[in-house]
Amino acid sequence: MAPLAPRSGDAVFASVERVNAELFTLTYGAIVRQLITDLEEVEEVNKQLDQMGYNIGVRLIDEFLAKSNVSRCVDFKETAEVIAKVGFKMFLGVTATVINWDAEGTSCSLVLEDNPLVDFVELPDTCQGLSYCNILSGVIRGALEMVSMKTEITWVRDMLQGDDAYELRVKLLKQVPEEYPYKDDD
Amino acid sequence: MIGVGKAKQYANVLDKPLSRGRQEVSLSAFAFLFSELVQYNQTQVDNIAELERRLEDAGYAVGARVLELLCHREKGNRRETRLLGILSFIHSTVWKVLFGKVADSLEKGTEHEDEYMISEKELLVNRFISVPKDMGAFNCGAFVAGIVRGVLDSAGFPAVVTAHFVPIEGQQRPRTTILIKFAEEVLRREARLG
Amino acid sequence: MTLSRLLRCAGVSTAIHRFYPVSVGNQQFVFWIMASTACFVIVSRNDIPIYEAEVGSVLKKEEAAHLHQFILHAALDIVQDLAWTTSAMFLKSVDRFNDLVVSVYVTAGHTRLMLLHDSRNEDGIKSFFQDVHELYLKILLNPLYLPGSRITSSHFDTKVRALARKYL
Repeated sequence: MAPLAPRSGDAVFASVERVNAELFTLTYGAIVRQLITDLEEVEEVNKQLDQMGYNIGVRLIDEFLAKSNVSRCVDFKETAEVIAKVGFKMFLGVTATVINWDAEGTSCSLVLEDNPLVDFVELPDTCQGLSYCNILSGVIRGALEMVSMKTEITWVRDMLQGDDAYELRVKLLKQVPEEYPYKDDD
Repeated sequence: MIGVGKAKQYANVLDKPLSRGRQEVSLSAFAFLFSELVQYNQTQVDNIAELERRLEDAGYAVGARVLELLCHREKGNRRETRLLGILSFIHSTVWKVLFGKVADSLEKGTEHEDEYMISEKELLVNRFISVPKDMGAFNCGAFVAGIVRGVLDSAGFPAVVTAHFVPIEGQQRPRTTILIKFAEEVLRREARLG
Repeated sequence: MTLSRLLRCAGVSTAIHRFYPVSVGNQQFVFWIMASTACFVIVSRNDIPIYEAEVGSVLKKEEAAHLHQFILHAALDIVQDLAWTTSAMFLKSVDRFNDLVVSVYVTAGHTRLMLLHDSRNEDGIKSFFQDVHELYLKILLNPLYLPGSRITSSHFDTKVRALARKYL
C-alpha cells in the first residue's frame, strides 16, 4: 500500500466524531473534584492526574497515527510540531505553538492557544498548588513513550496559578533507536 | 471549531463570557477521559453498586451545573416548574446539548405513577465501553443517571435515578433505560398545582 | 411572619425608616437613607446565605446584619410557594416593609437572589438580578466550587457592587 500523505490537524478534526466540549470540560472537572475528595493532598491529585493522562497517552497513540497518517517522526523537532499542530487539534480541537528550543534540539515548550479543560475553573485557596491540567502532560509522556521517546514533562506556566499562558516543557531524555513495530491496521 | 485564535486573556473567570456551547472536542478524547473515570473509580470500590454510586456522584456534579447553564442559555431564563416540563427539558434540551441528539424516548412507567423512563438505543457512554463479563449488570449509564438526577434534584424534583440495560428483540446490543422514580413530595406538589 | 412584623419585634421602629439614627461615640447622627439603599443576599437551595452585600447603604454593620436576617426569614417562605406558580426567574417584589421592598430572583437551581431596597426602579432591579445571575453561573460552573457553599471570590464581590451602582 502506498503511504498516505499526512493530514492536517484541521482536516483530521473535521473528519472525526465530535462531542460538545462542555460535556468534556464538566466531566473532567467532576474527575478532579473526586480526586480532591478522595486523595485530599494536592500533590497526590497531581500524581493521579498525570497517571490517568499516561494511561490515555499509551492507548491514544494508535488512533493518532492511524487517523493522521503520520508515519514515525524522524526527529524530536518534527515530533513536537506534530503534537502541537495535529495531536492537540485532533483530540481537543485546539492547537499549540512550539517555542524555546534549546541548542541541542532536545527540549522545547508547547504553549496552548486555548485550553478546553479549564473553562471557568478557578483554584480555591484550599487547592493552591493543584496542577489542574496535569492530565495533559501525562498524555504526551505516555504517547511519546509508545514511539520510543522517553520524555520528562513539566508545567512552566499555568494560567490557573496566575501565569499568562499554559506552557509545557517537553524534554527528551532518551530516544530508543530501533524501529517501532507499528502496523497500519488499527 | 476550526482555526481557534490565541487564548484571550481575562483577568478573572468572571470577565470571560459564558460559552455558547458550540465548541467541540473529539469523541475519542471524551471516551478516553470517561474510561479513566470508570477505571479510577473501580480502584476505589469493593462492588458494582458502589462503583455505580460513585459514577452517579460524578454525573450529579455535571447535571447540577448543566441545569443552570441551559435554562439560562437555551431557555431564556425560564425555569421548569412542572414534572412533564422538566422531563422534556432533560429528554430534549439536555440530551441535545450534551449528546448531540434528543433522547430516543421518554415514557411514563406503566406500573407506577411516580416512574418515568428515558431510553437510548446507544447511550454515548456505553458506545465505547465494553463491560467485562465478571462485572455483571454494571452500566456506565450510571454516570448519565447521575446527570439526570443532578438536573432534577437541583430544579426541585428529587428522584432516585438508575440506569439499566434492556434487551431489544432482534438486536444484539441492549438499549439503556434511565429509570426515574420521583420522591413523594414531587407528586404531591404536582397534584396541588393541578 | 411579614417583614414589618419582624422588624417591629426586633425593636426597629417603623417610624424611622426614613431618618435613621446612628450613634458614633456618644453623639447621635441622623442619616437620610438614600434612594439607593439596598441590601442584597444570595441564598442557597438549602436556605443558607452564601453571599451578602450592603449596597449604597448608610446602615451600621450590625443593623444591616439584622436586616439580612429579617429578609431571609420573612420572605423565604413566601418565595418558596411563589416560585412554583411561575416559570419566570424574576419574581418582582414579594414582601414589603413601609417604603422598603423585597424583590427576588429565583434561578433554575433554586438559588435565590434577594434584594431589600426602597427604589421603585423595577427595570434596574431586573437588570441587576440578571447580571448577577450570570456572574453566579460562572461561579457555579467552576468544578472546584461546591454548589451551595459560600461565594468567597473577591472579584465576585467587586462586580456585584459595581452592578449595584450601575442599576440600583
